[in-house]
Amino acid sequence: MTSNNKHKLQAIRHLTGSTYVLEMERRGMEFEAGQHILLGAEDNIHKREYSIYSGTKDEQLEVLVKEVEDGMVSKQLKKISEGTYLEIEGPLGFFSIDPELILAKRKFLFIASGTGIAPFHSMVKSIPGLDYTLLHGVRLVDEAYEKDTYEEGRYILCTSRDDKGDFQGRITDYIKQHEFDKDTVCFFCGNFNMIREAMNLLEKKGIPPSQLHAEVYF
Amino acid sequence: MKYHIVQLGCQMNISDGERVQQVLEGMGFVPTDNEAEANLLGVIACSVRQKGIDKVYTMVNKWNKSKNNKNLITFVSGCVLPADREQFLKLFDMVFPMSDLPDFPNMIKQYGIVTPAGLQSLDEGLKDLKIAEPVSANPKELTLAPVEPITGQKQTSLLRPDAGIRDFWHISPKYGSGFEAYIPIQNGCNKFCTFCAVPYTRGREVSRPSSEIIGELKDLVNNGYKSITLLGQNVNSYGLDKKSDELSFAELLEEIGRFGDDSKRDFWVYFTSPHPRDMGDEVIEVIAKYKCLAKQIHIPVQSGDDSMLVRMNRKYSMEKYRGIIHSINRLIPQATIFTDIIVGFTGETEEEFENTRKIMEEFKYNMAYIAQYSPRPGAASSRWADDIPKDVKKERYHKLTEELMKHSLRYNNNLIGKELKVLVRGKDRKEGYLSALTEGKIIVRFASENESLIGEYALVKISSAVPFSTEGELVSIYEQSSSMAGSQA
Ligand SMILES: Cc1cc2nc3c(=O)[nH]c(=O)nc-3n(C[C@H](O)[C@H](O)[C@H](O)COP(=O)(O)OP(=O)(O)OC[C@H]3O[C@@H](n4cnc5c(N)ncnc54)[C@H](O)[C@@H]3O)c2cc1C
Ligand code: SF4
Repeated sequence: MTSNNKHKLQAIRHLTGSTYVLEMERRGMEFEAGQHILLGAEDNIHKREYSIYSGTKDEQLEVLVKEVEDGMVSKQLKKISEGTYLEIEGPLGFFSIDPELILAKRKFLFIASGTGIAPFHSMVKSIPGLDYTLLHGVRLVDEAYEKDTYEEGRYILCTSRDDKGDFQGRITDYIKQHEFDKDTVCFFCGNFNMIREAMNLLEKKGIPPSQLHAEVYF
Repeated sequence: MKYHIVQLGCQMNISDGERVQQVLEGMGFVPTDNEAEANLLGVIACSVRQKGIDKVYTMVNKWNKSKNNKNLITFVSGCVLPADREQFLKLFDMVFPMSDLPDFPNMIKQYGIVTPAGLQSLDEGLKDLKIAEPVSANPKELTLAPVEPITGQKQTSLLRPDAGIRDFWHISPKYGSGFEAYIPIQNGCNKFCTFCAVPYTRGREVSRPSSEIIGELKDLVNNGYKSITLLGQNVNSYGLDKKSDELSFAELLEEIGRFGDDSKRDFWVYFTSPHPRDMGDEVIEVIAKYKCLAKQIHIPVQSGDDSMLVRMNRKYSMEKYRGIIHSINRLIPQATIFTDIIVGFTGETEEEFENTRKIMEEFKYNMAYIAQYSPRPGAASSRWADDIPKDVKKERYHKLTEELMKHSLRYNNNLIGKELKVLVRGKDRKEGYLSALTEGKIIVRFASENESLIGEYALVKISSAVPFSTEGELVSIYEQSSSMAGSQA
């Protein structure tokens, strides 16, 4: 790794028993909404990729992390005390919206599973006036991470294990039952199996592959 | 004082190794093939497969045992993941990234080894530093920097205070061949394909100044080199890290092409590897325009299926890739096309594999380096299930290889009866034959015991073909003015 930047952890916001937001010093880091960083505990050789959750104009730098069962880094990060330092490399990646599409006032469909909502949270906070619909697939209603961020009617929670969301079932079931404008630009993020299935469905519904963009977490 | 280096991995490592050798020989070390008689033992490591790294552990344990009965120091550099670096620090005397190579003489001196050049003050040696500095500060108005000839020169100190990858590039390599050479133009990668560890071992993309690249290339050409390969993990994102302060890859090729025309010398310039995401028509147009830019393009596809490309985080669709191949076929119809493919990547379904088989048929590659997927330590996919059984991977590998052989044979059969210009590279495995490559990197072997042809261009008439190679008869040594010029292959 070429350079490691140390950013002080200012607070941890626990959203559920396993999912939390790390609030770090930003230290002037410039990024585009949708990009990710490599993050790990100070002086620890193990780092993992995390999408930036905060907006480009926010004072702090935030990531949304789900503690993975038997996972290494996601467990370590959860236990880190406030005031200690984290090591960051980045910003990295190309999962961001082409400014020309924003200028052209295109319609966006954001499709996320679990913590895959993180880059969309950043996009919505960073780009005013974005014409988007966000489909968020989770198991239970308490995983609707900070849904108040999103404008009324733009956030659709799909819950597969309870009926307390806006739609009961998986994201792919939602897509099957709905129609989408053919010029919608789609962004997918999170679990690969969901992304693969959702992409195929939308392609079959007539959205060309050049309008499908994805970031795979696992 | 003798040294011995074990080089593992790709062309990039070989090219890095050439610079390490230059530093050591500049300090007065003499190379030896016999490990047992070396006082300095080193390895340029490769992390692509666990096997390669295991080899390094085995080697260093053996070397450390022989430290009991002789004076020996060891080092490791190259592609090393952070976790292995930590372990290596306990096993090797010196562990350093390639960008620290300019400081290598200092590190060796700390071990109290006195070498002829080591006696000289390092600062004094700065005077002799062979650096190609840009003549113009604006790369768009670039003129070629004066550089010394390569041959017979001994370099001593290679230090600059702001040592880093840029200083590493200032070190002239000890080229392994007198007619073929690699020029690193860029180091590192920003792409993070999920199957690859390079972004973790080599860090982010850094472009080497174009004035140095062109200086090194000019030097090589003036010394008679005939095949020069520009090397980088992502050659066509060259210059992007410098925003508008550096040439783009197409502009770099244009400079090289112009130099080729002006020099009136005969040479072929290749590059590897480009990334489809950054491949625009402007690169293909420049290749079409200049004679010295070889009409052979290596464009890794990895998979022919859009879902797999997403999982691999390749950041292009088959639509984009198809567009590139169409542009090559339209602008340089004579070009040969090579690729890289991975079969059996995590979760690859039969249908997804079938899409890859179909593109083999569609694009009719001249060569494909096909790999059966195995997780690479450090890469994102190494944490995912490697869920395609070995025998399925093998079967997919064989299916693609069969497809490839079919197209390669068809192409090579079409060469029969043609006279081709080839670069003779060495003795062939077949007794009494020499082996050569066409501009399109098609293997040509022909009967000849005349070793003085090695490193020269020749005209060969193709008489027979098999997949991946051809055989022919020597027509003549190729003369630059030869009007026949040989049709391109
Ligand atoms: C570009 C990119 C961006 C990412 N952004 C985020 C992010 O914003 N938030 C986030 O929580 N994670 C994100 N991830 C996943 C993250 O990098 C780690 O893989 C994850 O935190 C597990 O690391 P670990 O060391 O705890 O587990 P490891 O010890 O590495 O074990 C990994 C295991 O966990 C599985 N896994 C990985 N992520 C998840 C998950 N979210 N849910 C269930 N299983 C999982 C893997 O398939 C693997 O089997 C991202 C991954 C990538 C490639
Ligand atoms: S395979 Fe991908 S990540 Fe690896 S060096 Fe090439 S572009 Fe970079």
